[in-house]
Parts: sequence; C-alpha cells; structure tokens
Amino acid sequence: MIALGQASLLAALVCFGYATFAVVAGGCCRHAGLRRTGLWAWAAGIAALSCVLGVLAWALVAKDFRFAYVAQYCNRLLAWYYALAALWVGQAGSLLVWAWMVAVVAGSFRLAHRRAKEPVLAVVCGVLLAVVTFLTAVMVFGADPVAPSLVPPADGAGLGPVLQHPAMLAHPPAVFFGYALWTIPFALACAAAITGQLDSGWLAGARPWALAAWTVQGIGILIGAEWAYEELGWGGYWAWDPVENGSLLPWLTGTAMIHTALAWRCRGVLKKTTLLLAVATFGLCNFAAFLTRSGIFGSVHEFSRSTIAWMFLVLLGMLALAGPLLVAYRREELRPEHGLGGLASRESLVAISAAALVLLAGIVAVGTLAGPIGRAVAGRAITLGPEFYNTAAAPLALVLFGAMAMVPLARWGGPPQPDQSRRLKVLAALGAASAVLAWVLGVRHAWGVGVAGLAVLALGAMGLAIASDFRSVLSAGRWRAAARLFSARRRQYASHLMHLGFISLLVGIAGSSLGSKSIDITLARGQTFHWSGYAIRLSDVQQEVLPDKHVVQTRLEVQPARGAPFELVPAQHFHFSTREWTAEVAVRSAWWGDLYAVAHGGSGDQHADLTLIVNPLMRFLWASGLLVALGAAAALWPRRRRGVHRPARPKAGTRPEQPPGKPHGLRPHRPELYQGAAGSPAGPQDPGVAPGHRAAATRRHRGFRRG
Amino acid sequence: MTPGRKLLVLALVLVGVTAWFAWQGASGSWQYYLTVDEFMAQGDSLRNVRVRLGGKVAEGTLQISADRRRAAFDLAGTGHRLAVRYAGILPDNLAEGRDVVVEGRQEGEGPFQADRLLTRCASKYEPAASTPTAVGPGEEGG
Repeated sequence: MIALGQASLLAALVCFGYATFAVVAGGCCRHAGLRRTGLWAWAAGIAALSCVLGVLAWALVAKDFRFAYVAQYCNRLLAWYYALAALWVGQAGSLLVWAWMVAVVAGSFRLAHRRAKEPVLAVVCGVLLAVVTFLTAVMVFGADPVAPSLVPPADGAGLGPVLQHPAMLAHPPAVFFGYALWTIPFALACAAAITGQLDSGWLAGARPWALAAWTVQGIGILIGAEWAYEELGWGGYWAWDPVENGSLLPWLTGTAMIHTALAWRCRGVLKKTTLLLAVATFGLCNFAAFLTRSGIFGSVHEFSRSTIAWMFLVLLGMLALAGPLLVAYRREELRPEHGLGGLASRESLVAISAAALVLLAGIVAVGTLAGPIGRAVAGRAITLGPEFYNTAAAPLALVLFGAMAMVPLARWGGPPQPDQSRRLKVLAALGAASAVLAWVLGVRHAWGVGVAGLAVLALGAMGLAIASDFRSVLSAGRWRAAARLFSARRRQYASHLMHLGFISLLVGIAGSSLGSKSIDITLARGQTFHWSGYAIRLSDVQQEVLPDKHVVQTRLEVQPARGAPFELVPAQHFHFSTREWTAEVAVRSAWWGDLYAVAHGGSGDQHADLTLIVNPLMRFLWASGLLVALGAAAALWPRRRRGVHRPARPKAGTRPEQPPGKPHGLRPHRPELYQGAAGSPAGPQDPGVAPGHRAAATRRHRGFRRG
Repeated sequence: MTPGRKLLVLALVLVGVTAWFAWQGASGSWQYYLTVDEFMAQGDSLRNVRVRLGGKVAEGTLQISADRRRAAFDLAGTGHRLAVRYAGILPDNLAEGRDVVVEGRQEGEGPFQADRLLTRCASKYEPAASTPTAVGPGEEGG
C-alpha cells in the first residue's frame, strides 16, 4: 500500500506539472491536441491524488502503523471516524487534503467553464494547476503523507482527547475547503490582470466562488469557536492564538475583497484594491494553512530547519511581488471609471469598510507575528496579550459597523437621496438615543454603547430600505408581486440577511466580552450558592468507571431568578490511555445569556471545585452563523432562468451574439443581476420598483454604469 | 476638497487612531516570550520582569496540591531547569512531560512565581511532532 501511495503521489506531481504546461501552451497557441493531453493529465492527476488520499484514509481506518503518519496520529482504540479525521490533524495529511480539495475545485471550475474563451481560460487553468502542482511538490519534497515508519510500532501515538470531538469532523475540513475555494477568485484575478481583460467579466465569474469560500470558511471558523467554547473550559471562544488568527486573516481580507468587487462591478471603482485583495487573500490562505500545522508558532527556531517553511515563504514572497507588479503594469486599464460620489456614497462606504477590514487583518497579523518581529527588532521574542487585540480591534469594528449600517440607505455614485438622507438623520438620532439608553441600563463600556447605538441604526436602515422596497406592492395587497420582487432582488435580500448576521455577531461579541462574569468556588454537597441571579445547589457528585475513562459528574440544581429550575452536569473525564483529565463543561443557553459551569479535577465525593461563568448574549454570536449561511444560500441559489437570459451556462465563447467588449466570456454579462448584486451595496436604489419595471431599471442602470 | 481626498484623509485618521489604540493595547499587554534556556541565559536582567516562558514539565517533579489550586514543578528546556510555583486553577491535562507555557516573574533567587499556566496544545493541535523536518532532535513525543 505504501508503494501504491508513493507511486500515486509521484504520478500526481508529474501529471499536474505536465498539465500546467500543456494547458497553458495549448491554450495560448490554440493547439487543441496539446491542450487535450493537458486536460487528460489534469484528470489523471486528480485521480492519482485521490488514490493517495484513499490509501492514507484506508491506512488510518485500518490502523496500519507501517505508515509513519498513521503511527503518529492514530491508535488502536480510536473510533474509525476520528481515525479518518486524523487525516487533517498532522501537517502532511492536511496538505494532502488541501491539495486534493484545490485540485477538485479547480477541476470542477474547468468543467463548469469548459466552453469559455481561450487565452483567459488557459491562464486561469494555468494558475490553478500551478497551485496544485506546488502543493503536490511540497508533499513530495517536504511532507510525505504516505512515508513509511522506520520501525512500525505496535500501537500509534493516538489523537489527543481534546481533538476527539464531533467538531473535529467539521471545523478543519470546512476551513481548508474555504482556503481551496479562494484559489478560484485568485486565479481569475491573475488571469484578468495578465491578459489585460479587465472588464467586470472576471468578477461575475469569481463572485459565486468567493462567496462560497467566504461562507464556508466563516462557518468553519465559527464551528471552531464553538468547539473551543465547549471543549477548552475557560468560558471563552476566541483566545487570539496564532492558529485561530491564521484562519481569520484571509477571511478578513476576503470580506473586503467581496465588497470592493461589488464597487468595481457596480461603479467601476476600487479596481486595484480588488485585485490586490484577491491576491492577498490567497496568499494569506497559504500562510494560514501552512502555519496552522507547522508548529512554527510553537517555536520560532524550527523555522529555519523546515524545508516546507521555505517553500511557502518563497511562494508568499512571489505573491507579494507579483500582485503589486501586475497592478502597476495594468494601471492604465485599472483606472477608476468614476470619481467617488461623496463620503456617504456606497463606494466610499465600501472603501471605508475595506480599509477597516485590512487594518483589522494588519492588527491580527502584527499580534500573531509579534514573536518574530520582537526578535528582529529587540532581539527577544515577545507576545501580545488579548488586550492588544481587543483595544486595537474594537474601534475598527465600530467603524466597520457604522459603514455597514448606512449602506441600505446609501446609493452608488452620490450622496443619499434627500428622503434617504432625512431617514438616516432620524435613525442616527434614534441610534444615539439607544446608546444613551444602553448607558442608563448599565452598559459602561464605550464599545458596548457604540454597538447598541449602531445596531439600532443598522437595523432601522435595513428595515426602512426593505419597507420602501415593498410598500408599493404591498399596499395593493399583492403578496405575489411582493414575492416576485423578493426573488428579483434576491441578492439584495441575501445581503441583508448576511448583514443581519454581522449585527448579530457584533452584539454577541460585545455582550459576551463586556458582560462576562466568572467566579471560582468550592461547593459542599447540599450547599446552595447565590450568584448573579442564580441559586446553585450541589446535589450530588457521581463517580463512574467506563472501559476507557473514569467519569466524575457534578450535579448542580440551578434556580434562576425567573423561570423554571434546571440541572447542569459539568463532568471530568480521566482518560486511561493518555492518563489525563479533560473537563466536560455544562452550558445552559438562553437569548439573554449563558450559564457556563466547569468542574475541576481533584474533587472528592463530598464537594466540588467549580468555575461558574455568565456570558451574556452568546446565542447571538452563534445565530450569526445561521444567518450568514441562509444569506449565502439565498445569494448562491441558482437563478431561475427564463426567456432571453436562459443560456446562462458559460457558452459565451461560442455564442455569436455575445456582444463585443466582454471577451472574457467566463460568464455572460447579465446587467440585471447587478441590480441587487450581493452584499447589500445593491444596484441603484429604486425603492418600490415593481417587477414589471425591472427592464427599465436595468437599462437605466446600464447607462448609469457605462455613462 | 474632492471626495477622494476626503476619503484619503479619513483613511489616514483611521490608520492613526488604530495605531494609537494598538500601541495602547500593546504597551499594556506585551511580555517577553522566551524558552527556559533563553531565560536562564539572560540572567539577572529579567529578574522581577513579567515574562512568558515555554518549556516542558520535567519528569518526576510535578507536585499538585490536594485542592488542585497550586502546583510546583521544574520547567525544563534543553539544557536548563527552572523551579516554578503556580497558584491558580490547574489545566486539566497538566502532566509530566507536557509542553507548557507559564506567565509570571522570578523575584530574587526564589522560584519562578507563575499565575498563568497553559498547556501547549490548549489550542487545537499538537504543534510539536508535525513533520520529521520540522521536529528537532529530542522533541519527539511531546
């Protein structure tokens, strides 16, 4: 099996290498035969890489310790699904999964766009294949996932008990899948810049991939946070540790890129920013995916010894050079089509948000790399505590929130229309009032007061935009027309949903970080403790010995100030195999807050050592994931096609009626989609436009854009 | 002033404000982050300075109080050892041979007084033992 894995890995490298050459050369020289061999090589490479993945997965499930990787991350007691999850525990396995995902995503992109026009397609595929080849080469030369054990052990080292959690099956693959999906927007951006076909065609092609990547990655990060919350037992969900920060970096720049891409599509501005952000996001994905598993954060000294580290460093260096160089080379084509229409225009709000997001990413990067930076500057590694991140990030988050709050009532190309501007002023007054109210109610932190005020502004603006949208059709009692309006503006409403998710996220973060209280107590059996509006009684401590672990359950009867009593059972597990304790926390969740209980080791039968934590508004944080997922699903749901727009599949290259000026041809130019283009910076705000008038609106929009 | 220029000014203000806040946050929360060996090599210069140290709980030295609120152990680097006293809630998976990070200070010649103790894989992955190339000699099995 090892031989099969090794041979497949080498075969994959050869296939991908050849495919890169053949697809680019064949596409650019219009040599159909060469290109076809390249495509076959591509398919063969995917098959070979799948074979490597299959071999390693089989070895993990079968506990074949002749594989070094299996011996390191698996043992005989491990359930098959966690054995399979060990695929993404180590560096070599993670690289394999990631490379495979990129290869498959790239392949499906090529399939979806098989009729798109050459040379652009060739360059896109060339970039994608180069990435896949690079990752495969890293495995071959740096981290072989199917390397044999020198001496096969009788049993493997196993997986840490903290990792044996259902989230292990979802969080890492989701984040890696997000990284893989970001490759497509990057490749499209590169191809657009290289070939100089810098109309907004590439954005239409990149949009679904970027949105999917952003969503999958975001949900993955949130699952990780939830996992940390209920597994690590310190009552928080985000510790600002390097691994977490790494995954946040590309997500922040990616969020900025999705929004600046809208400004490009709708208004023809922020083009250079969009291209640079696409490159940066991809680079940061590599940075994160590599550093997560490298152990380099553990000790900076390892860096110089690691081959892989240098390979990724070279890649990052090349990206950091190539991005700005490409943009400089195409600066004529990337000139903005319009000036910015005032500070309160949508494009300005997008620019402000993008600046805030990039600065946030900068803060996170500085904090993450404080060790190496300190070593370079002062000769000693330093670390920055959570206070650094919280102090620096809070004002940026408020700026971001403020910009987002105004968006529904702003428009592209100019300041808000007089009536919208009046509404904004009223809402701003309401927001200020609610900030004062929050102060009166006991919120004493500037950041909490700010969130309260801006949340009202944001919700109000969104509500008014939706209301004016629907007013005309609803007053006539035409629900069907309203439904049609919703479907016509689906992307706009999807963006509202996602922005609701953002509001929910900020409310959750602000509530749980500013209002959190905790206490360490020792309770005797039968003793009742009054704290934070709860009466907590230790009713029992139960010991139980299971085959693999010793379980100590601490039963707490909790009577809240209002409402029914409930029981919390935090537990401690002693794992015989690894001889270590883990805490199983107990959480009672409600919309106003969580009661979180952790039992600590060392308790006897008659008393328990506990940490109790109250985290207000935590549920809003998790709800944000649901809202974003719903919004993304609505935004990405395939559009029902009727009439003249039917052939939306990328047959552009073959369609003779394809208008000139859109030679990119990855997706036909469909201006009506711009109207509600996602991320509520929608098309020109046209409150109350009835479905029947969409064509007119579209025409106007087009003229608006071009003119 | 054109909108573009206004926006530029706004961006500069944003950068400035962020830098100021970042500086505030950093000056309140930064610490040296050293290995035990580096800390011992720096000698007296780091006495009474709050630092963060990474090392391994030496075999046979871990003592835990009955209420699990205090611990004493030797923090081992590759060449040096440092006696550590810790007060606070213990991580559940504290064990001999495990990589840990402690925060605190050494006052005078006494033991290192730590008030924070993190086990290294409190984050989600075992960072040590990733690949043969990334693992130094003597670090296997961490």
